[in-house]
Amino acid sequence: MATTGAKAKPETILGDLELICPAGTPAALRAAVDAGAEAVYLGFRDETNARNFPGLNFSPEELADGLEYAHARYCMVFVAINTFPRAGAPEAWHRAIDCAADLGVDAVILADIGILDYAARQHPDLRLHLSVQASASNAEAIRFYHEAFGVRRVVLPRVLTVEDIAELNSQIPVETEVFAFGGMCPMAEGRCLLSSYVTGKSPNITGVCSPASHVRYEERGSEMVSRLGDFTINIFQQSDAAGYPTLCKGRFVADGRASYLFEAPTSLNVLPLLPELMAAGVSALKIEGRQRGRAYTAQVVAAFRAAIDACRRGEPIPEMPQLADVTEGQRETSGAYRRAWR
Amino acid sequence: MVNLTAMTDILNDSQDSPEQGGKGAISAGRASMVPPFSPVLLGGLLLAPIPNVVLRPLLRAVMASVTKQHPGMFERLDSHADTIFLIDPVDLPIRFLLKADAEQPKLTIAREADVSRATAAIHGSLLALIDLLEGRVDGDALFFSRRLLIEGDTEAVVALRNAVDGEEIDIIDDILVRAGPLARPARRAAKVALRLARRAGADMAMLQDALLQPAMERIETQTAAVDHLHQSMARSGSSRRRRASKTPAVQG
Repeated sequence: MATTGAKAKPETILGDLELICPAGTPAALRAAVDAGAEAVYLGFRDETNARNFPGLNFSPEELADGLEYAHARYCMVFVAINTFPRAGAPEAWHRAIDCAADLGVDAVILADIGILDYAARQHPDLRLHLSVQASASNAEAIRFYHEAFGVRRVVLPRVLTVEDIAELNSQIPVETEVFAFGGMCPMAEGRCLLSSYVTGKSPNITGVCSPASHVRYEERGSEMVSRLGDFTINIFQQSDAAGYPTLCKGRFVADGRASYLFEAPTSLNVLPLLPELMAAGVSALKIEGRQRGRAYTAQVVAAFRAAIDACRRGEPIPEMPQLADVTEGQRETSGAYRRAWR
Repeated sequence: MVNLTAMTDILNDSQDSPEQGGKGAISAGRASMVPPFSPVLLGGLLLAPIPNVVLRPLLRAVMASVTKQHPGMFERLDSHADTIFLIDPVDLPIRFLLKADAEQPKLTIAREADVSRATAAIHGSLLALIDLLEGRVDGDALFFSRRLLIEGDTEAVVALRNAVDGEEIDIIDDILVRAGPLARPARRAAKVALRLARRAGADMAMLQDALLQPAMERIETQTAAVDHLHQSMARSGSSRRRRASKTPAVQG
């Protein structure tokens, strides 16, 4: 994509995969930029973004500083304003868009059609990306967002195969960005009600999935019990790798046997699929994990930077065993990109 | 039929209200985390006889120095100013209490009687906690690999982790910033000591694994055999129940 605020790179390679990296704090932003991100995405410190976690995110002043740091190093900054406002109360979302536009961000990542409409009308020059929270996974839906609001990129839900993505790319007039590494969301994104059901707080409206305020860990001898509200999510033995305490990754008893009914704790990793994703016409790879520490950001971004650069040179993708340390449950998957189960 | 609360039933858990979900209890004693066999564990034995009166002013100075270097750290913790964190390096004989009040943050040695005052707890080896403090390691990764254990108010712990991670702390630099002309040699010596401790820690962990490996393998084999027996018993129990339910009751 053409950069709006970031300095133009000395050499622009057509068909490149952009590396889009998470930043939960200004320190993580600097870590991502230094490790080779082409763009960093972040959110404000409120419910307008889907990682509204305690101690995380940016004030407008921190965003201004972050923009200066990133733009000086040829890196773009995208702001996620990707939750859905409650009926009749869109002011915080409007303010967030105005603030992001005034500060000169390179794009905003939006999900709600009312918010998209506001951004398109009030800031016609602001580049709009469609968040994964909009769950737009077919050509008709994506064309609608493009035609109605001028959306220029769509972040695809994690339900499509590489072949599906290639087919989709041939039918739509916008760029596609796909998740490359990090936490998996097995539910219909932007429509999951599990967290709301258990805690009364929603990832889609308040920006918190399984909020920490409702999570509890208990030591029972050698076992660790993780709980969310009323529910026991998992019981980890001492030798088990742990996962996030979300209901969709809980281990439940069905027919007398405890198992992961929705999804096991695991992280997405598309490193082996990079050449296929490039061939499928994907424009950008997104690293998940604004809630993770800056050590995660630096490590994962550096690994993907090296892998993408190797792909560009036509070299084999290097092994990255160090990524196993930062995966959830110490396991990784290629997710729906390769539906091995089909 | 899926029973989402079945594990809870098995454990005879009490059913808390969702609002109380994140305020779990903190272990009265040391957490069950086994301290790693490390130089810190051995060195910690030397720390035990040092009276708290000596350590207290030292901690005050450390806290004052870190707070001065990172005034924004507690800003991200604004809604947790009253939380008392128990910081538990499991390989040291002492634990700490942290009150993250932006106006007057306080780090003290936790006596046994004080532990009940803590509303959130973080347990891990000293080196893991220092790595976390300095952002050298990701907190979630430590948690996934079970090298970090948290208890009590999860939200406060997450907020503290994020606040600390956002600060780019270098604990040695921050402590020695006021050491005047001694700062440079002291910094060099401390960093070398830390590097050696890390290397020795890795070597000792390897040695520990090598010594324990045969016993661990035997335990795993026995556990698998016990699991297999449990499953067989459960299967035979359910088929007996099925057979019994199909047998017509004898009319008396």
